[in-house]
Amino acid sequence: MAEFEKVEGSKSDHDLRLYAISTCGWCKKTRNFLESNDVAYEYVYVDLLKGQDQAEVVEEVSKLNPDRTFPTLVIDGDEVLIGFKEDAFKEKIL
Amino acid sequence: MTEPAGVTEDEVEALCDRLAREAEANGYHLNPDREMTLDLVRGLTDNKERYGYMLCPCRLSGGSREADLDVICPCDYRDADLDEYDTCY
Repeated sequence: MAEFEKVEGSKSDHDLRLYAISTCGWCKKTRNFLESNDVAYEYVYVDLLKGQDQAEVVEEVSKLNPDRTFPTLVIDGDEVLIGFKEDAFKEKIL
Repeated sequence: MTEPAGVTEDEVEALCDRLAREAEANGYHLNPDREMTLDLVRGLTDNKERYGYMLCPCRLSGGSREADLDVICPCDYRDADLDEYDTCY
């Protein structure tokens, strides 16, 4: 099972899981938003995973976001935000 | 997949300028946030080195050029993304 990288933050009201691509500028902006707002989250760079780990995570993403676009941010296991949506992030996370 | 060996910042800037000219010639505009756009162009150059073609930096490779034809920049989803989000993802 792929390991998600945990990022510490003082705001941990929500369980945030970020599926990202290492080359993606929007994914980087999403991480910057979370970290500049001191929000705890975990992330994985799907493109850097190999073999079975990648296949399992891709399957997870496909269920959450059939278009498999990135960033895909999952809030508390059920709400899915696709793309860098700063206003929605502020409303739902901060 | 190999890790990108690295492209110089000058090369990224030059590619960004070329893409901007091509975009404008076709009625599109690159994001005016230059830093953001350079990040995306850097993603394209990384992917060119990794895969041999400019896979969208925000899309996952399907493992071959044939599988990725729809997500090579500018990808098949650009216009739909622009309609929905005012930007591409």
